Amino acid sequence: MRIVEDPVPAVEVVDLERRYGTFAAVRGISFEVAPGEVFALLGVNGAGKTSALEVLEGLARPAAGTVRVLGRDPVADRAAVRPFLGVLLQASGLPGDLTVAETVRTWAGTLSTPQPVDEALAQVGLTDRADVRVRSLSGGERRRLDLTLALLGRPRVIVLDEPTTGLDPESRRAVWELVRRRVGEGAAVLLTTHHLEEAEELADRIAVMRAGRIVLSGTAGEIAATQPATIRFELAPDGPALPALPGAQLVSTGPRVELHTRALQPVLTRLLTWADAEGVVLTGLQARSATLEQAFLAVADGTDDVPRLVSPAA
Amino acid sequence: MTAIDQPTPTPTRTAPPSRVRRTLTLAGAETRLLVRNRTALVNSVLLPLLLVAAVPGLGMDGGDGVGPQLLVAAVGVTLVFLTYYNLVTTFVARREDLVLQRMRTGELTEVEVLLGTAAPTLVVTVGQVVLVAAGTVVIGEWVAPVDVVLPLLALVGGVALMLLLAAASTSFTRTPESAQITTLPVVMATTALSGLLFPLSDLPEQLASVARVLPLTPVVELARLGLAGRAWDGTEVDAGGAWAAAPLPLAVLGAWLLAGAVVAPRVFRWAPRR
Repeated sequence: MRIVEDPVPAVEVVDLERRYGTFAAVRGISFEVAPGEVFALLGVNGAGKTSALEVLEGLARPAAGTVRVLGRDPVADRAAVRPFLGVLLQASGLPGDLTVAETVRTWAGTLSTPQPVDEALAQVGLTDRADVRVRSLSGGERRRLDLTLALLGRPRVIVLDEPTTGLDPESRRAVWELVRRRVGEGAAVLLTTHHLEEAEELADRIAVMRAGRIVLSGTAGEIAATQPATIRFELAPDGPALPALPGAQLVSTGPRVELHTRALQPVLTRLLTWADAEGVVLTGLQARSATLEQAFLAVADGTDDVPRLVSPAA
Repeated sequence: MTAIDQPTPTPTRTAPPSRVRRTLTLAGAETRLLVRNRTALVNSVLLPLLLVAAVPGLGMDGGDGVGPQLLVAAVGVTLVFLTYYNLVTTFVARREDLVLQRMRTGELTEVEVLLGTAAPTLVVTVGQVVLVAAGTVVIGEWVAPVDVVLPLLALVGGVALMLLLAAASTSFTRTPESAQITTLPVVMATTALSGLLFPLSDLPEQLASVARVLPLTPVVELARLGLAGRAWDGTEVDAGGAWAAAPLPLAVLGAWLLAGAVVAPRVFRWAPRR
């Protein structure tokens, strides 16, 4: 069975739900990933990320909703989807008594269009470790071997569940490079991560999940912009009082001042103009737009309903 | 856009591997693992042979002759102590190590993953029976079988049944070590009441009828009919008589296979329980 060219997204998830008994792990999420795009699912542990991915990977059926990978149902059309799907599970095993090369060669022998084994090992810097038993690899080497297997079949859709957990910063950058190259070749990537830096580095779009729902989605910038910018400085105690700053919220006063605003530039301009005119020194002045991390922390762990959806799955 | 038809950059192979070929790839890796695991190797090669050798020592005289008796014992003992037990431990070990879950993310189908994983055990099973057959020739106890088809059906059906029973048994086996306990019901009950250790005709009639519907009994019955020309109650039969006595054990074996094929896929778990 062949999957012909048609204008569907590489991954399409509509109103996906998953339940374990009475517990609803995923409560109706929707998103799409286009070829050549990286989409990141963020969320604290238990938010439902892995449960959602398992449906995409064809390892579980949805309780409700539909999932399409390259236009196909990953469970019903497994045989058609699998040759084009590369999966890196959050945790998976390999027999410890095979060498690295034997492991890759075995996996290659089960694939339709495998990369040459040498090339695949070189890509992740494991060439020197080819004859080492898997049992003797370090955690980072194991993860890179996992990634090698996930990418070995030249997948068009790549699902990476926490690809760099446990990797040192250098290995992490190497993994990012590898993923970027596949994206450049047109692969669609869906990844989960605990490292917000990783999402900012790699992802074109991000969705934040909380308790089985997507509570925020958009680019890293759009998500960060859901939180106000911060201005901080110190004032001499005997100086003139602050002027009215429309659009800014005074969070703390006294010598250390903190302002939150969604209009950073005009508020900052007004503040600096005032300081200039009054001859006031704003000691230790800082002005910072909100970060993805701030936005993430604000919604990911909360229990209140804050679905402030930015450009839902544009 | 969905460029599944796109030419791949540097094809290393013109056609995808066939289902048989890719399953054999996994089987090859599993065989390597068995060879590298000395304990497992000794357990699966030496232990069953010792058990087989012990059977004539039980002094069970059904008039079968030593050669046929050894061979029937080889089929029965190997299927339970090697095929069934090994498969339960292997499947559970691969499941708990998260190997099965990974294999499921590839192109192999679920059946291919299980067959590839089971392959070394299945090969050793057949090898053991062949080895014992050769052994009976060497010690001059070889007796030509009354019928060849029935013992072959017993072996093939028995292997398939052990595979299904093993897959089903993994559902109540949490670790490879606990398999020593969880496999006991099948190992003890079926072996004890299979007609392998004492003739079922020694049992009260009702208990004998129960014993004859246990999973291993039809395998032993069929093997004995063909190899020794003896029915379950000790009656001597020729080829025609062997086939005349075969429908019941064949039906029992068939029923077990059917039950296994229905139950095993429903209770088999691919990942550890969390």
